[in-house]
Amino acid sequence: MKRNYLIIIITVAVLGIVGACKEDFLNITPNGSLDASVMGSAEGIDGLVIGCYAVLDGTANYTTWESAGSNWVFSEIRAVIANKGTDAGDQPAINPLQSYTEESTNSYINTQWVTLYEAISRCNNVILVAGKSLESGKITQAKHDIFVAQAKALRGFYHHKAWLMWEDIPYIDETMDPTEVGNTTDVRANIIADLQAGVSGLPNDMDQIGRWNKTVCQVMLAKAMMDMNHDYAGALTLLNEVKTSGTRPDGTSIGLHPTYGDLFEITNRNTEENVYTVQYSVNDGAGSANAGYPEILNFPYKAGGSPGGCCGFFQPTQEFVNSFRTTAAGLPYLDGSYNTLPVVSDQGLTPADAFTEDAGPLDPRLDWAVGRRGIPYFDWGEVTGSDWVRDQSYAGPYSNKKQVYKKSEERVLTDVTNWTNGVTANGYRMIRFADVLLLLAECQIETNDLAGARTNINLVRARAANPDGWVKEADGVTNAANYVISEYPTTGYPFDSQANARLALYMERKLELGMEGHRWWDLKRWGLAVTETNRVLDYETTTPWGSNGAAYIQGTARVGAEDVTYPVPQRQIDLMGGLIVQNR
Amino acid sequence: MQISTNAKRFALFVFSMVLSVGILFGQERTITGRVTAEEEGPLPGVNVTVQGTTIGAITDINGSYSLRVPGPDAVLVFSSIGYVTQSVTVGSQATIDLVLVSDVQALQEVVVTGYTTQRRRDLTGAVGVVETAELTAVPTGQLTSQLQGRASGVTVIGDGRPGQAAKVRIRGLASFESNSPLYIVDGVPTTDISFLNPNDVETMVVLKDAGAASVYGSRASNGVIVVNTKKGGSGVKVTYDLYTGWSLPGPGATEDVLTAEEYGELIWLIYDNDGTSENHPVYGPSSNPSPTMPQWWIDNGSVSTDWWDEVTDPALKMNHDVTLSGGNENARFFAGFGYLDENGIVLYNYSKRARGRFNSEFTILKDRIKVGENLTMQYYRGRGVGNLGEGSPINSTTYRLQSIIPVKWSGPDFPGQLSTHLWTAGDWGGTGIAPRLGNSGNTVAGLTRGKDDWGQNYNLLGNLYVDIKILNGLNFRSNFGGGFGSGWGLGFGWATYENAENTNTNSFSENSNWGANWIWTNQLTFDRVFGDHKITAVAGYEAVKTGIGRYMSGARGNYFSTDVSYRTLSNGASINSVSSSFYTPTALVSIIGKVDYGFRNKYLFSATIRRDGSSKFGPDTRYGVFPAFSGAWRISDEPFLEGLTWLSDLKIRGSWGMMGNQGALDTQNQYSLYTSSVSTAGYDVAGTYTSAVTGYRPSRIGNPNAKWETNVTTDVGFETTLFNDRLSFVFDWFLKQTKDLLFRVERPAQAGNATAPYINIAEMENKGFDLELGYRDNFGDLGFSANFNVTHYKNKIISIAEGYDYFDYGGGTTRIGAAHRNIVGEEMSSFYGYEYLGLFQSDADVDAHATQTGAAPGFLKFADTDGDGEITPDDRKIIGSPHPDFTYGLNLDLSYKGVDLNAYFYGSQGNDIFNWNKWWIEFFPSFQGQKAKSLLYDSWTTATPENTVPKASNTSNFSTNGQVNGYYMEDGSFLKLKNLQLGYTIPQSVLSKINVKSLRVYVQTVNLFTLTKYSGLDPELGGDDRAFGADTGNYPNVKQIVFGLNLTL
Repeated sequence: MKRNYLIIIITVAVLGIVGACKEDFLNITPNGSLDASVMGSAEGIDGLVIGCYAVLDGTANYTTWESAGSNWVFSEIRAVIANKGTDAGDQPAINPLQSYTEESTNSYINTQWVTLYEAISRCNNVILVAGKSLESGKITQAKHDIFVAQAKALRGFYHHKAWLMWEDIPYIDETMDPTEVGNTTDVRANIIADLQAGVSGLPNDMDQIGRWNKTVCQVMLAKAMMDMNHDYAGALTLLNEVKTSGTRPDGTSIGLHPTYGDLFEITNRNTEENVYTVQYSVNDGAGSANAGYPEILNFPYKAGGSPGGCCGFFQPTQEFVNSFRTTAAGLPYLDGSYNTLPVVSDQGLTPADAFTEDAGPLDPRLDWAVGRRGIPYFDWGEVTGSDWVRDQSYAGPYSNKKQVYKKSEERVLTDVTNWTNGVTANGYRMIRFADVLLLLAECQIETNDLAGARTNINLVRARAANPDGWVKEADGVTNAANYVISEYPTTGYPFDSQANARLALYMERKLELGMEGHRWWDLKRWGLAVTETNRVLDYETTTPWGSNGAAYIQGTARVGAEDVTYPVPQRQIDLMGGLIVQNR
Repeated sequence: MQISTNAKRFALFVFSMVLSVGILFGQERTITGRVTAEEEGPLPGVNVTVQGTTIGAITDINGSYSLRVPGPDAVLVFSSIGYVTQSVTVGSQATIDLVLVSDVQALQEVVVTGYTTQRRRDLTGAVGVVETAELTAVPTGQLTSQLQGRASGVTVIGDGRPGQAAKVRIRGLASFESNSPLYIVDGVPTTDISFLNPNDVETMVVLKDAGAASVYGSRASNGVIVVNTKKGGSGVKVTYDLYTGWSLPGPGATEDVLTAEEYGELIWLIYDNDGTSENHPVYGPSSNPSPTMPQWWIDNGSVSTDWWDEVTDPALKMNHDVTLSGGNENARFFAGFGYLDENGIVLYNYSKRARGRFNSEFTILKDRIKVGENLTMQYYRGRGVGNLGEGSPINSTTYRLQSIIPVKWSGPDFPGQLSTHLWTAGDWGGTGIAPRLGNSGNTVAGLTRGKDDWGQNYNLLGNLYVDIKILNGLNFRSNFGGGFGSGWGLGFGWATYENAENTNTNSFSENSNWGANWIWTNQLTFDRVFGDHKITAVAGYEAVKTGIGRYMSGARGNYFSTDVSYRTLSNGASINSVSSSFYTPTALVSIIGKVDYGFRNKYLFSATIRRDGSSKFGPDTRYGVFPAFSGAWRISDEPFLEGLTWLSDLKIRGSWGMMGNQGALDTQNQYSLYTSSVSTAGYDVAGTYTSAVTGYRPSRIGNPNAKWETNVTTDVGFETTLFNDRLSFVFDWFLKQTKDLLFRVERPAQAGNATAPYINIAEMENKGFDLELGYRDNFGDLGFSANFNVTHYKNKIISIAEGYDYFDYGGGTTRIGAAHRNIVGEEMSSFYGYEYLGLFQSDADVDAHATQTGAAPGFLKFADTDGDGEITPDDRKIIGSPHPDFTYGLNLDLSYKGVDLNAYFYGSQGNDIFNWNKWWIEFFPSFQGQKAKSLLYDSWTTATPENTVPKASNTSNFSTNGQVNGYYMEDGSFLKLKNLQLGYTIPQSVLSKINVKSLRVYVQTVNLFTLTKYSGLDPELGGDDRAFGADTGNYPNVKQIVFGLNLTL
């Protein structure tokens, strides 16, 4: 019996020991993560601010092209500057976006929404954490203010972008429960106030080229005022200040780069022209997540080894190409009649077939925006025709060019960790000085300073007219095409009336900034999204690829008033139980 | 003294494990005889005792015994562990030979349900007992696959990849994310039994309802499968089993896809249909009356590649199993060694497993204490391939590679038209040869290049236990068990030259991980009979820790050489990525109580209560209490039925209980966390081009209030055996309701993209029935048995979350959005899209129909279900269900003298399949990949409007390949002859001459035929529970021919 008692005692003791330690046993804290208390230092909050900048490229917690910061789908393709390109079945969700038949369930639209609001959420988090750290004395007032001003400016920018997409959007600041905010309130004043906070809270010299400074905020504020409120007078003041005393974020001066062509070289992404460039980095240990992942599809599909290696998207349209036709005097056709003098293409020809290049006068900027047969394509050689595109019968003969890198830069300034070389350090030129000058000119036209507008537009044209910046044949001397460009005359048409001056301005933005992600927003601001796009479609659908019922445009695409904005994603309406409503 | 005796016994045991020494004793000779076992021949180590005395003997190696008996009234009792004990009155006999009945039937009597064992006839819950001999009849090496069709209420789906565990679901789907049953292997819980050798399994039971399973409380809600491994019996036994055979890929999809010439004809048909023209870069100007085959193809031999044939090969498999077992009344041991080498039908797809098991048990201190251990270990090495999805070898081989592309170039030197490569003889063929060849890689090239990639795992799982008899009927048992595993993998990413879209830089990645878990259970068991009352009670305490471990991986790029011996992380020129993770483990503590009470074995009642605490929940909600009650009434023992001689047994049962689930929950669910990440929050703020500053972002939002997901199950059943146990019938009806279902609610985007927490919000219901029917009889030398079982469940989502009527889930069909939607009031994983009405026949037909984007004659016509005259997303509805109405298994055994025949059928009825392969091959613009013969020969044209395949056209829009719709739906019902085996047991008369106890040889076929209307490769489809039943390129279960032998020494 003694042994029995002994066993019982042992048993009870064992049970007791296990029981006694059970509370600790069940408290398991997470491994491999940080909790909020660690984030409150100045370094921690600055890391959160970096997280806000990280979404400028259009990717957040994932890599995607659907929400590209460069707006190649939502602005350029929508405005028929370019086609989706490639072949019919690739990324079919873009097809309805360019035929104005998209459903509210379209994945591109939802991804854009998710990405923008993730960015906004990160901005709000900076303001919240900075506020708490200021209260607890972990950071100084000055540090706090510089963090918060960046976060607010970025928050304003991301909201502005959402406004351009949908107009009826929820505005979320750090004080709100985001799940309880609807989209039926006018948010424009909030956006203006946020950008204004950046203007008043940030110096011009932010030390680093990738941070937003006062100048960047001024331009963004001016754009928001123009886009949302047609407040040209207010924007004029801001832009004039930028022109005269603005700087790049690291405090260096801004101005026009002397030549147009090499603006788009990767190594020139931070020259004086670039008021703000999204800073892509390659081979940085992030597996190409910080490189130009959103533009990964947008390279020619060139036989014999393509720049980028994939996938033939974002092919310029014939209408866009025709726009570069100039008069013998080197001025553009402002009435659309350039389409009666179309640029000759090699549509329907194989590379082996003979092809005579267009000999008519052309704006030299064409051959920096568009890859076309017979024209040298950086150091990749001359474009040889249909072997540069994936399916010419479907998407036409042209290739994207501004975003493409030089062959000599491959694997040096392109990421080597991806299957393709098409993730580059060619950061998206978000604000170029030429853009600032043209925005300024637009404000001057709207405030009836036509001479001032002409001066600014002519500054842009004069730079484009510098022959050092033209595409040359292999000899490096001969111009690749018949380039003719001149400044507008100081008297008479088109700066003889506000209406004509507008036409000049509109055309100049198309020629200077085409394929750079501005067009649809420009048309929207000008109230021309419907009429101008339908005019372009009238022509484009007569091309062999545009008229083909089998091709993307489906022959019958028309823009209606409701297509100026995109539908609010159905997913978000559902998730908010109806608090978010459809905008159409 | 005692201690040293035990030490000797231990030493003897260890010695015996290695050398299998038999333990023999002799006696006087008065009665002699020989004891044999069915199928196994002479049985050594059988206890032969004279009832009521201490006289006894043990059979020798030949099964012979002899002993002196007091007189003719003496009763000899023959007993051996694992066999039914038999008694024989001596009478006038001098020789008594006996056949002991095999363990399978003996074990039917006693069911090991984990914390206790019960007589099967006393069970009050729904318990399925699996015949382990049947399991190993299917040669896969995976217990999960072998379970298919063997127990009612259990649904098993597996693909054809070698070494791949199948998906097991018990009674439907009770949760959105965690539906895997809990496995208890020798008392140790695990979620993975892929490393168990089926040959080592002694018993396997499935606990289906709360009455049976809720004693496992916390993780029992998806059912529990209790596996006990072999312990060894009396005497020495050595077995060797071998099987070897081939998996035969068959014609696959060869007959469904176009040849190179036909592909050109299809393009000409499209020019005709679309009214388009061009100069096709492969087939020449469309103005030609017919396509011109390109010169490079003619130079290369004019071969149309049969990609299926190129990528697949008959695959050899070979399995060896050796078991050594033995023991006496004080010590038993079992050692098993298995080696299974399996190849997949896809090139360089293989799995090799070496598995060992060492089980032993001693009885010491005069039967007071039993100590034992079970240990299994596995080494796995293999090269797996993906399944279901774009890029899986089946998808790219069958549906994406045009026949015009050569596997290898054999013609004269040729400069590629899309790649910079100059093709010379022997180079890989690919889409870079010419434009318009599509975008899939050359699968043969990919698989061949990857032949030196591999992954390997080591696994250990075992336990050590002691069982102490404190008082008569009161036992204390302590069981400590655990598992440890470690994995290693590496892969080389090759630069390619042959594709239109080439990978430019080679890379190499290597990863490794280790993981561990342990459990400690202490329990007191009280087991007594007081007159008519039988009581079994268990009280226990259990602590568990799982998910301990770490993972690390690295990848580098730009390797100077691709040589296998050069592949180390140090040798790459650039660092692509480096990462590691530190798992957050889970701790569980539980208190267990269980009482079984029986009155005259007729009225049976059982109550269970279990309280579980889990570290996954916050301090206020971490405990859950799970009670269950069950009862049974053995009607056949009532006096009023005693006269019915045809009724052997009749019992009705009922149970109600609750079970918990926390499987879905992330271990970090209660915490709000930030992450630092150079990829998701990094930015090159300094403008360096090649470096980014690491930023931070909120990564997770915590919910400290999450609590246990609870499953309330009601079960009513009855079981009966008739005509002297010849016919048996078991039926159970069940209702399983999951409350407080843990669901990760997708938060509105405005709340940010940090990982949302799980909250207890959803509800789900499963109801259904399980049915088992058995028949067993002998007609002279002819033995026959048949077992049939049916599983039926109906799943329904009761609620998801406030304001959430549905959630979508992907499933490999992301090219046109998710094909599945989980909707309140409907079945989980329902197919959702536009209802397909047929093809538009004419412009008038288009005009008469509701407005539909892209509508044209020959294109898909969708139903205007809301009648608003326009086809919009609101018209989408449920277009099919992947859930079968029922699944069934039928096992037939026939034996005649030494010959045995087994046939085993498995079927699934009433499930739909979303045949995503049609998107690739029946719509031309779904990339320029391979296309279907039906698109060329059976597609709609104005001349053949009766054809059901849409018009061949290069149009991609809403009415062609742009939407999920009913065109892709097919009936996925099937019936397979899973196994047909013919065996012959060599007669004893022959074997005894060579001292072999038994030898059986057999030949079998697996998957001999499949009856189905499904047009794809195999209707047996897995996938995530939220999105399954979509065929996105399924690795099929193919025909196998196998030869084998079973030898006992």
